Amino acid sequence: MIKVFLWFSLLVILSISPFLGAINLSFDSILDFTSLDSEIFFELRLPRLFFTLFAGAILALSGLLFQTLFRNALMTPYTLGISSGAVLGAGIAIKLGLTSLLFGITTISLFGFLGAILTLFLLIYLSQFLKSSQHESLLLLGIALSLFYTSALMVVFYLGSSVQNDMLIRFTMGSLSIIGWQHPILLGAMALLLLVSVYFYRYELQLLSISDEGAKLRGVNTKKTTLILLSVSSLAIGILVSISGPIGFIGLVVPHIVTKLYPVTVERRILKTALFGALFLVFCDTLSRVIQTQSELPIGIVTAIIGGPFFIYLIISRSSK
Amino acid sequence: MIKCSNVTCKFQEKTVLKNISLNIHSHLSILGANGAGKSTLAKVICDLVSYEGTVLVNEKNIKEYSLKERAILLSYIPAKLEVYDNFITLEEFVLLGRFAHKTSLFDYSKKDKIIAKECLEFLHIEHLATHPINALSSGETQLSLIAQALAQQSKIIIFDEPTANLDPKNSKIIAEHIKGLKEYHQVILITHDIALAAFIGSDVAFIKDKSVELFDEEFFQKEQLERLYEVSFESYGVKYD
Repeated sequence: MIKVFLWFSLLVILSISPFLGAINLSFDSILDFTSLDSEIFFELRLPRLFFTLFAGAILALSGLLFQTLFRNALMTPYTLGISSGAVLGAGIAIKLGLTSLLFGITTISLFGFLGAILTLFLLIYLSQFLKSSQHESLLLLGIALSLFYTSALMVVFYLGSSVQNDMLIRFTMGSLSIIGWQHPILLGAMALLLLVSVYFYRYELQLLSISDEGAKLRGVNTKKTTLILLSVSSLAIGILVSISGPIGFIGLVVPHIVTKLYPVTVERRILKTALFGALFLVFCDTLSRVIQTQSELPIGIVTAIIGGPFFIYLIISRSSK
Repeated sequence: MIKCSNVTCKFQEKTVLKNISLNIHSHLSILGANGAGKSTLAKVICDLVSYEGTVLVNEKNIKEYSLKERAILLSYIPAKLEVYDNFITLEEFVLLGRFAHKTSLFDYSKKDKIIAKECLEFLHIEHLATHPINALSSGETQLSLIAQALAQQSKIIIFDEPTANLDPKNSKIIAEHIKGLKEYHQVILITHDIALAAFIGSDVAFIKDKSVELFDEEFFQKEQLERLYEVSFESYGVKYD
């Protein structure tokens, strides 16, 4: 019952979301293709809706992936510092004034991706020095990296001009304001790539969700599977973060809610998690646009306000007496 | 046929196995003190830890087999099972043993599911099929692990202290199953349970001071045991047969 209600509400929000915002649109006006409303709808709201859907799916799936591979409910690209790495990369690109295009991908995106993937490799390298079971230490490593990146970003701020800094500050808060269809299409391709990869390796994931050693003994090439899945996910996260800035907590909250709703093994939660993540981020985005402030609230702040307390709840419920 | 040559295994600075050479032709029970390196030897054979030296299985280096081939060749049953997934049921868990045999990208085949079901029936745990693994008792968990290994249909099965966490009654159930498996599988048993090793009746490899000594049934004579374990013995414990 609660499942039906939740999905139904999310779908309702999905259908009304593009009509809401600083200017509320009506259904009749958008069908008049010469009107301003129609242009807002088809060039701003609808691309944004699709971008948000893909972003939510990527964040939620990556969260599920990290939690499964590391067998720890607190693991996400965000808590491991991979998002922060992407932010730093993008920040450096903004500071250097690199805004050119390379095969349709902006240099900022490329730097964001490099930041994410380099962080991932650094984590994999550092994790060799940990006992294989000590994933908690890996989490601490991720947090240490995040702190380091934040300091490095401060240096970028310090050196930047006020125009660049304004761009950077807004970037670090996360934003889904995009114009046109280029970004949604790129992100859609990433979401599809991630979904197909995760789905392709779903039986390996099911084994890895039990134990690394056990998976290896059943015939899973654990190193290869882990590396491929983490790389694809970091690619998607890197590109997402470089366009929208960091959007935290979705990867933490959504897989947990889906697990509560559907207590089944991981390979049967993949599609549900992606879909729920997509709709949940649309919900957060709609919230950010209808709450009346000077302008819309940055999405990263909305998800943090929802996700922060949830994160604390998760930690306490995990280690409560 | 497993052939270990000059195997040395270190954890950080501590040498656990030193220059061990051991040919395992048939069934074998491996005994020895805590920390003597029994489990490490098993993990070396399964290539789960890094080591120096070579391990040949059927005249081919274990590292040259693909992981799926390895899984079909041998399975390792740990003393304890840690499952992060809280929802996986017994039947799903046993079906995972079929991974190495799975050829399709999609679901496990009908044949796989039938084999998994037969393994549950063989071990008389089919009534637990839909229970989550994490909710099972130690005895039931050990049976689940055996069922998974059976579904995997590996030639060699390595048991790592199968009775370590079990009460005497469950130990007896497990012991009987292990003995039964000797007919179709090569059984390598690692244990502290001398009565169990005596019941299984395989040759014994005793690991002490980083080297291996081989015995047949003379191992179970009281004087021999007292010499090897450096304590006096009164009785064996559980009467398995």
